Amino acid sequence: MGLLSSSASFVRYTVEGDLPQNFWEFIAERIALHSFRDIDESYEERSVGWVSVLNMFDSEFAFASYAAADHVVLSLRIDERKVAPNVLKKFCLKEEERLKKARQIPKLARSQKLEIKENVKLMLMKKAVPVPAVYDICWNLADSTLLFFSTSQKAQELLEEFFKDSFDLGLMLQVPYLTAEHLLGPDSHAALAEITPSIFV
Amino acid sequence: MDLVDLIEEKRFLGQEFLTWLWFKSDERGGSIFLPEAGEDVQVIFAKHMILVYGEGDSSEKVICQGLQTELREARTGLAMGKKLEQARIQLVRGEYEWNLSLKATLLEFRNIKSPKTMATSEESDEPEAVEGRMLEHIGLHEILMRTVDQLFRMFLEVRIGAGWGQELTRLREWVHQEK
Repeated sequence: MGLLSSSASFVRYTVEGDLPQNFWEFIAERIALHSFRDIDESYEERSVGWVSVLNMFDSEFAFASYAAADHVVLSLRIDERKVAPNVLKKFCLKEEERLKKARQIPKLARSQKLEIKENVKLMLMKKAVPVPAVYDICWNLADSTLLFFSTSQKAQELLEEFFKDSFDLGLMLQVPYLTAEHLLGPDSHAALAEITPSIFV
Repeated sequence: MDLVDLIEEKRFLGQEFLTWLWFKSDERGGSIFLPEAGEDVQVIFAKHMILVYGEGDSSEKVICQGLQTELREARTGLAMGKKLEQARIQLVRGEYEWNLSLKATLLEFRNIKSPKTMATSEESDEPEAVEGRMLEHIGLHEILMRTVDQLFRMFLEVRIGAGWGQELTRLREWVHQEK
């Protein structure tokens, strides 16, 4: 699905805001600051950061490998530990049964059940392997546009937020109407705003 | 207007563009002249289309699959007032050929098969070769986007211009034409 794959999918964005004068210095600093940190050996629930499009384990970017002519090419990597709801339910019930037997009581209080749920979730989360997701971006600096190689709305929302955090720049999804404004120029905006749906039958 | 409202309110723009593009391509056997570039591009609608009718809970969706000549059902859908939401398109410009799905509401480019090029087979891992491959992929995506933008601009100029009434009459005739 990515930039270098044989079957790519993308949506387009415009990058809103001015680029700093010393852009390449700025970008090197910001990418380093927001590069991906591995959580395989920790118990953290989630990690988000930039990696190389060529290698999801490369967050060092030797020789500024994210620069390709006047483009910045990166991958957004998200690793997340997840516990399936039915697995959580199973282990909660198991623990509840164990406690009832051990204490020889017919029923557990609601607060006890909640406590069990918290503890079981923590225990399962520690055992869970972080699931990775990687989405490529291609940022054209000359015309301030960006391709995002995913059509998932959830991934798009995450990108918009993380891009803002990383570079202090906004992203605006180029839906047809905004593309139309851009293609036609300001003189035609009023005419464009006035059109209403046509009936084709 | 915020983006969510803009998408809802102007949803028709992308859908009308896709339908118009199908009509334009059908008019000259798949060939469309791009005045801006002074050249013909081939735009072939084939194999897969999604048409929609209505919005929200009451919306209907029709998926049509088949070869070009078998897209009668999609034409029937248009004649019944459904709108084209997604289409698989083969686009040829000069020596390059892409196959992609265009989704109307958000103008998404999906499942793009880019042209095969010489460099694709050169799998060297040298940084220069890798950057070269990357730039080539980017370049091909940019030509594709530019072409779709030029087609979209062509539609928009007709759409907001005085000639839209006439174009609409021709488009309606095409919708009802026996295939």
